[in-house]
Amino acid sequence: MLSRLFAVLSLALAAQIAAPMALAQGQNAVSLSGDVQVVRTIEENGTARTVLEPPTQVVPGDRLVFSTSYRNTSGQVVEDFVITNPLPAAVVLAENGAFAVSVDGAKSFGSLASLSVTLEDGATRPAELADVTHVRWTLDRLEPGASGSVTYFATIR
Amino acid sequence: MEHAHLRIAALTGTLLATAALASPALAAGVTAGTLIENTASASYNTGGPTQSVDSNTVSFRVAELLDVAVASQDPAALPVVGSTVLTFSVTNTGNGEEPFVLTAEPAVAGNDFDVTIDNLAIDTNNNGVYDPGIDTLLTNGATSAPIDPDQAITVFVLVTAPAGLTDAQASQVRLTAASATGTGTPGTTFAGAGDDGVDAVVGSTGADDDDTGSLVASVASVNLVKSATILDPFGGNQPLPGAVVTFTLAASVTGSGAINDLTINDAIPASTTYAAGTLTLDAGALTDAADTDAGTASASGIAVSLGTVAAGSSHTVTFQVEID
Repeated sequence: MLSRLFAVLSLALAAQIAAPMALAQGQNAVSLSGDVQVVRTIEENGTARTVLEPPTQVVPGDRLVFSTSYRNTSGQVVEDFVITNPLPAAVVLAENGAFAVSVDGAKSFGSLASLSVTLEDGATRPAELADVTHVRWTLDRLEPGASGSVTYFATIR
Repeated sequence: MEHAHLRIAALTGTLLATAALASPALAAGVTAGTLIENTASASYNTGGPTQSVDSNTVSFRVAELLDVAVASQDPAALPVVGSTVLTFSVTNTGNGEEPFVLTAEPAVAGNDFDVTIDNLAIDTNNNGVYDPGIDTLLTNGATSAPIDPDQAITVFVLVTAPAGLTDAQASQVRLTAASATGTGTPGTTFAGAGDDGVDAVVGSTGADDDDTGSLVASVASVNLVKSATILDPFGGNQPLPGAVVTFTLAASVTGSGAINDLTINDAIPASTTYAAGTLTLDAGALTDAADTDAGTASASGIAVSLGTVAAGSSHTVTFQVEID
């Protein structure tokens, strides 16, 4: 009985020791943290006000803001820093922004205006917000300790 | 609410994103309970090989939007004599599987008369026509089976008009469909009451809707006018013995619809004798015998069978008698 308890304890200890070690081995120079909020318009005393709320009771047509915070947690300069965010299938990009987009599942990126979509009959049409599958931010260089965040707005289909 | 099919239709990913593009978005939107997950990734280098890192995944489920649309499917007011069937469509314009409470209200402001609601029926075989014995009957005020998002059912309202209606009297019947989960002002929330246990949120319709179907009384009535002209033996018009009296019976059907099995009967007045072979219908001669034509005549009286006479038509029967 006692020996079994000890075995369990030592297992737990081993797990505690192993975890930080694994983290250290695969440690990233950059940390990314995602968040999503729903954009609601609240009317108070006849004036409309926009507030961000946690994504509860979200229904089709609601507007969301997806954000990703980044930080260079290392002592080194980070280069060629690119954040890519696949859009969930259930949302459509609500507005263009300071990012490149892909309308072909991340095969190619560019400004929305520069992209086109090939139709079933082989013809092409200019890409629209609803065609966007990925958004991408290119930040190039992060000094040690530098941080920031990127966002995109989307609407529930 | 109803049924907790897990619909994880929206995993973040290229494959699914492409699939969503191929099919156009539904009017009702993403189904309730759909899991939305978002993960960003970054690539970079610190002078060496390219490295990558993923963000945490943020996820939430889409809530159930409660919305409904009811529309009368009858192109015009239904003529009613006795019983008839009104047709409505009930469309689930929300994004979840939702049953609706269906209530037909016969007393609508402005009605000339109110019908009795006999039953509701769901168009089970989806042919748009009420089929007794096939389409599922539903008690007035009962709840429908769950309707899928963006899907419609046809609801029949079986009504009986009261007796004693006058032609062209009008009536309306209102069918209301209310979300079984609940109704209220838009934005009202029912925690955990949606599909897969998500919250249910009342949409712009208030989660209920109604429409009216119109009925118009179709009642035909008969006017019978009898007149007589006399021709006496001296060329005058005095009712003397030997004078011939021509009776004219003008039957006209007014209103709408038709009168079935209309027969005009008249007795030969006392102290007169039927002049054989003088019976006519609409200026055409009828034999006195009971045979294939519409009329019979005898010493006691005449009878002309007109069958079904549509409203708006009229018929004239004449016969002659001689004053004894």
